Amino acid sequence: MTPVRRFLCAWLVSLPLAWDSCGVQAAFSQAMDSDFTLNLPAGRKECFYQTMKRDASMEIEYQVLDGAGLDVDFSIFSPSGQLLFNDQRKSDGVHTVETEDGDYMFCFDNTFSTVSDKLVFFELILDNMDTDEDPENWKEYVHGIDTLDMKLEDIMDTINNVKARLSKSVQIQTLLRAFEARDRNIQESNFERVNFWSVVNLVVMVMVSGVQVYLVRSLFEDKKKIRT
Amino acid sequence: MLSAPAARAFLLLSWISSISALYFHIGETEKKCFIEEIPDETMVIGKYRTQLWDKQSGSFLPATPGLGMHVEIKDPDTKIILSRQYGSDGRFTFTSHTPGEHQICLHSNSTKMALFAGGKLRVHLDIQVGEHTNNYPEIAAKDKLTELQLRVRQLLDQVEQIQKEQNYQRYREERFRMTSESTNQRVLWWSITQTLILIITGIWQMKHLKSFFEAKKLV
Repeated sequence: MTPVRRFLCAWLVSLPLAWDSCGVQAAFSQAMDSDFTLNLPAGRKECFYQTMKRDASMEIEYQVLDGAGLDVDFSIFSPSGQLLFNDQRKSDGVHTVETEDGDYMFCFDNTFSTVSDKLVFFELILDNMDTDEDPENWKEYVHGIDTLDMKLEDIMDTINNVKARLSKSVQIQTLLRAFEARDRNIQESNFERVNFWSVVNLVVMVMVSGVQVYLVRSLFEDKKKIRT
Repeated sequence: MLSAPAARAFLLLSWISSISALYFHIGETEKKCFIEEIPDETMVIGKYRTQLWDKQSGSFLPATPGLGMHVEIKDPDTKIILSRQYGSDGRFTFTSHTPGEHQICLHSNSTKMALFAGGKLRVHLDIQVGEHTNNYPEIAAKDKLTELQLRVRQLLDQVEQIQKEQNYQRYREERFRMTSESTNQRVLWWSITQTLILIITGIWQMKHLKSFFEAKKLV
């Protein structure tokens, strides 16, 4: 081979390798599923932004976990500023968006409430984000060779299948955790309410009883004084 | 195949560049807090990247030297387990020792008003919990695993995390049930007590007023 050809050969071979390793630098990329729980103070609006590519899809699921009324306003805006979804005072919701290039904005609005803070949980599930790279291409990092190359593909397929199912389990588990947290918060606020109103009830009853007796007595005592 | 040091170098460089992440805007004195409810012995890694609004160019500058973020993490007993200052790009990690709601708070450490000057700080944030914190290329290098072994290892980690979460869920459900039963009992006993108090108060009122009227020679 001539030196030029050799060089070209080497360059062509190294290019995909370099590209692959660039791809594996998933860098500060967000994982495909992420969830956040935050406290939304009364009268505040919090907005989050997510950069998306074309032909990907974004699913947002949110729930209000704590706070009187358990409701919040939710809205999603496209990169061009168009309002895509608007939920008024809902307790939970799920929306899927087929995306274009740009930054999507979604907001949680608690301005209608003057007193109570809301605890909001939301989960972002992104699909088809990495169209030009495989985030789990570990071929450069592994050592040794697996024997049984023919059967290896089948085993890999099965493993990928199991992994996908487990990821789905994790998502469902996150959801269940949010539901349970919400129910627990409802129950604990019930508990406090029962305690508080029972004590108030007792105090009011005793006071009313005393006041009634005093009033009736005072009626008769005044009359006696007037007579004499 | 890359050698372990080369792999590590790649990964170190990698988190500086970015692709896409959730971001939000934060004011100068504003503190943003996120709550993570996690089982015990779970590792959490948070990565953030900041950008400052530049009026002259009308866009967000990629990196702002000198502007850092203060990260504060509280455990379920509101005890501070991490309180540190990081640069404009940072990575913080902690492992939970008690199960429950941990609070991760971020606020900027800017003392000069000029830095913000009516603009906002854009913070890209990514928080990874449990199995997602594992760095599989590094594990492959350290334990010298083949690809099949690595993938099976990942599945094992994933299942372990699910199991931990399920155990924690059982503990939370038990607490929930105890609170429910306590509330129900209190409602029952309070209703009975209330009825008894009403009856006793009624009888006392009648007796007292009757003796009062008899004393005043009205009856």
